[in-house]
Amino acid sequence: MLKIHKINKSFGGIKATNNVSIELKPHSINALIGPNGAGKTTIFNLITGKISVDEGNIFIGDNNITNLKETEITHIGIARAFQITNIFPTLSVKESIKIALLAKIHGLNNMWDRFSSHSVNEEASKIAELTGLTKVYNTISSELSHGDQKLLDIALALALKPKVLLLDEPTAGMGPEERWEMIKRIKELWQKTKMTVLFIEHDMDIVFDIAQTIFVLQQGSIIAKGTPKEIKKNQVVIKAYLGGGKK
Amino acid sequence: MKFFKRDNFKRDAFIGLVVWIFLLIFFFIVPSPGIHDIIQKVFILGLFAMSLNILIGYLGLVAFGHAAFFAAGAYTLGLFLQSSAIVSLGSLSIPAAIISAIFISTVLAAFIGAICIRLKDIYFSFLTLAFQMLIYSIILALVDITGGDQGLMGGFPKPPFLGINLGKPFDFYAFTIFISIITIVLLRQLIESPFGYGLRMIRDNPERPAALGFNNQRHKLIAFIIAGSIAGLAGSLQALLDVGAYPEWAFWAKSAEPLFMILLGGMHSFLGPLMGALIFEILNDFVTANTRYYGLVLGLVILSFVLGLRRGLLDWLLIKFYRK
Ligand SMILES: Nc1ncnc2c1ncn2[C@@H]1O[C@H](COP(=O)(O)OP(=O)(O)OP(=O)(O)O)[C@@H](O)[C@H]1O
Ligand SMILES: [Mg+2]
Repeated sequence: MLKIHKINKSFGGIKATNNVSIELKPHSINALIGPNGAGKTTIFNLITGKISVDEGNIFIGDNNITNLKETEITHIGIARAFQITNIFPTLSVKESIKIALLAKIHGLNNMWDRFSSHSVNEEASKIAELTGLTKVYNTISSELSHGDQKLLDIALALALKPKVLLLDEPTAGMGPEERWEMIKRIKELWQKTKMTVLFIEHDMDIVFDIAQTIFVLQQGSIIAKGTPKEIKKNQVVIKAYLGGGKK
Repeated sequence: MKFFKRDNFKRDAFIGLVVWIFLLIFFFIVPSPGIHDIIQKVFILGLFAMSLNILIGYLGLVAFGHAAFFAAGAYTLGLFLQSSAIVSLGSLSIPAAIISAIFISTVLAAFIGAICIRLKDIYFSFLTLAFQMLIYSIILALVDITGGDQGLMGGFPKPPFLGINLGKPFDFYAFTIFISIITIVLLRQLIESPFGYGLRMIRDNPERPAALGFNNQRHKLIAFIIAGSIAGLAGSLQALLDVGAYPEWAFWAKSAEPLFMILLGGMHSFLGPLMGALIFEILNDFVTANTRYYGLVLGLVILSFVLGLRRGLLDWLLIKFYRK
């Protein structure tokens, strides 16, 4: 589904991404792990076109999306939720989801309908249900709990009906209970949709629990990939990452 | 009652019509030319301030050069009505002049907007200001056409059209308010449309829309052009009222006026800037009649609103009595 082929990216003299290759199977759920500053978010930024690739190629299906514009890549089928929640503070959950739905179909150029009575209402409430935001559907985003803000960020991405969904630390800043709830929800979402999911996560229990394939990143290089079983036994990973204090 | 709860175009058009008729009746109940003058000016300046608030309140872009479009509309109308085109157009002259004024300010806004929206924050503000001062200099320099610092002298005819004679106070009053209300109802539709929510989205978080496949720049440019064209319309009405156009209308201080109105009335309610125009005009009228220190009084009033209410008057009233 998503194929990253030997991409490189440097900031100044620092190699943030070093010959990284990642391939995701259709309808799979995968984790990208690595210590702080390993370059995980950078890889997401490269995939989505937020920053440009120095070398290498990225494909979605047969489509070469390397260095296309962020907006184009989004329309081709990649959506993301952000490490630091990235939502619209004065808009309600309902309004935010509707905006994302309309953005997908270029509906925000419409000047002749009323936003409030626009036909995407039903679809928006479905997405709220899917992400568990029904109870706060009419709440202003800035007044949501941290967890609900994270969910809204994901809901915005889901509204785009992506082929590939990228989640950057969906459980960051949450307590243990909230974390597992979030993870259950993500797993459910993945099962219900035909999406390919790649998520970044620091909690190894969570990663081992739901990822089918794990990619381990260190200082910009993939040092290991495999199933949870394989990664748990991998000596390089144990030495470099699991042994050396996780976050 | 249900009709009024439903937020749609028909309801707004109906309310607009009712307000218009009410103001027509008011004209005869209170036969004071001074008050009529204030009311029509409130609408003209209200249009000017509301158009700027598309950018400030809904898009989050503080444009400092909005008077450029006001002046462009005013001069276009004046020059058009002074030209020989009016002989062949006859009774169509005034509608044609207003349409030309809107057209020219739209083109100007497209040109200035295309350059300015590439910049952010204070840089955007400064660049709009720079363009406005450029327009100001051009008006001063083209003495043969614009009359330079004297303004557009010699007046112009206002040929009647469709039985409307803008030379008569009632006709002018009714016409100006009618055009303003139509524009306000259309603007309301724009603000409440998906397009209008696109503006709020950019204001709230300009980084996120690209990851929703949305092009901010295009949206911002369209909003900038619409704001400019409405300012141009306001300018053309002002020129019709004063039967002339003046270079001060392109000076930076003229751009500060709608900013004051937005501060006074409120940027987060649709009609806030219109209310601001009302406060501004009342202050202007009563204060200048009684003291020379107009600027001081205006400053103190704005200060008390900003520090006391912490928002514009209509924003404050709506929060106090409507939303909890
Ligand atoms: N736009 C940028 N300009 C310059 N340097 C950058 C930029 N983005 C990231 N970096 C650098 O690249 C390296 C990788 O950063 P990145 O954010 O991808 O790490 P990460 O694995 O997501 O870390 P974390 O777990 O803390 O989120 C860091 O050294 C960072 O400072
Ligand atoms: Mg990161």
